[in-house]
Amino acid sequence: MTGMDAILHGGLQGYLVVALLLFAIGLAAVLLRRTMLMQFMGVELMLNAANVALLAFARFRGGDLQATVFYLFIIAVAACEAAVGLALIIGLYRHRDTTDSDRTASLKQ
Amino acid sequence: MFLAFALITLLGALGMLLQKNIIVAGLFMVAAFFGIAGLFVLLANPVAAALQLIVYSGAIMVLVLFVIMMLSSHEEEAAQASHPIQRWLSLLLALALAAGGVKLVMASKGVQMLASRGAAVPPAVTLQGVGAVLFEGHLLGFEVAGLMLLAAMVGAVALTKRNL
Repeated sequence: MTGMDAILHGGLQGYLVVALLLFAIGLAAVLLRRTMLMQFMGVELMLNAANVALLAFARFRGGDLQATVFYLFIIAVAACEAAVGLALIIGLYRHRDTTDSDRTASLKQ
Repeated sequence: MFLAFALITLLGALGMLLQKNIIVAGLFMVAAFFGIAGLFVLLANPVAAALQLIVYSGAIMVLVLFVIMMLSSHEEEAAQASHPIQRWLSLLLALALAAGGVKLVMASKGVQMLASRGAAVPPAVTLQGVGAVLFEGHLLGFEVAGLMLLAAMVGAVALTKRNL
């Protein structure tokens, strides 16, 4: 399968293109939206794009189990990142009464 | 099948990017995560699909939606200063990244070779196999991940608690 055909019928290129577009949308969310929660969701989207690419490469290398183990670790780190990131956003909201990233340029009081 | 899940994923993500109401954006995000789980099933990896549903569509999105409701900031606040040039530049950057990446993937000989060599669907990933690889080769990493989750939990409580 080459070219458009691979994209339409789930070849490796199709998964990589989906991952790239997902990453670009996440990046756009981080850069264009000002609410910190939206930026956080954009970061999660970019992380998921990386996971899609990782598991797509693993499948086309004959179902490599190592990649699924790595995916497990990535998801553990993502859960930590979500917990601490959201706690930081709540803490900032308590001090500043805003979740706009322009208004919270510094973490200090 | 692939096209359906890819469209669910990308339209969910696009809806999240364009939606003004943050709660609705969060729900679009859940749709995108469901689409990604579907893609994982198509990649012969039901273990990752189940993990994706449990951890992302379940735990992380519930966390995010709870925080959105706690902060009562459902709409984006009015901009303090508008940065039209920066916004256009960032949009251009994202588009250039996407276009350049897609062009690179489509032109790459290595990707093409990998795609044709691994075209046959491999046996589905089983939890048994993943467990064996995890505990035989990555026991230390597994323990460290557990410790890190504990540290993150303590950190989150310490950050949100007003006075310990």
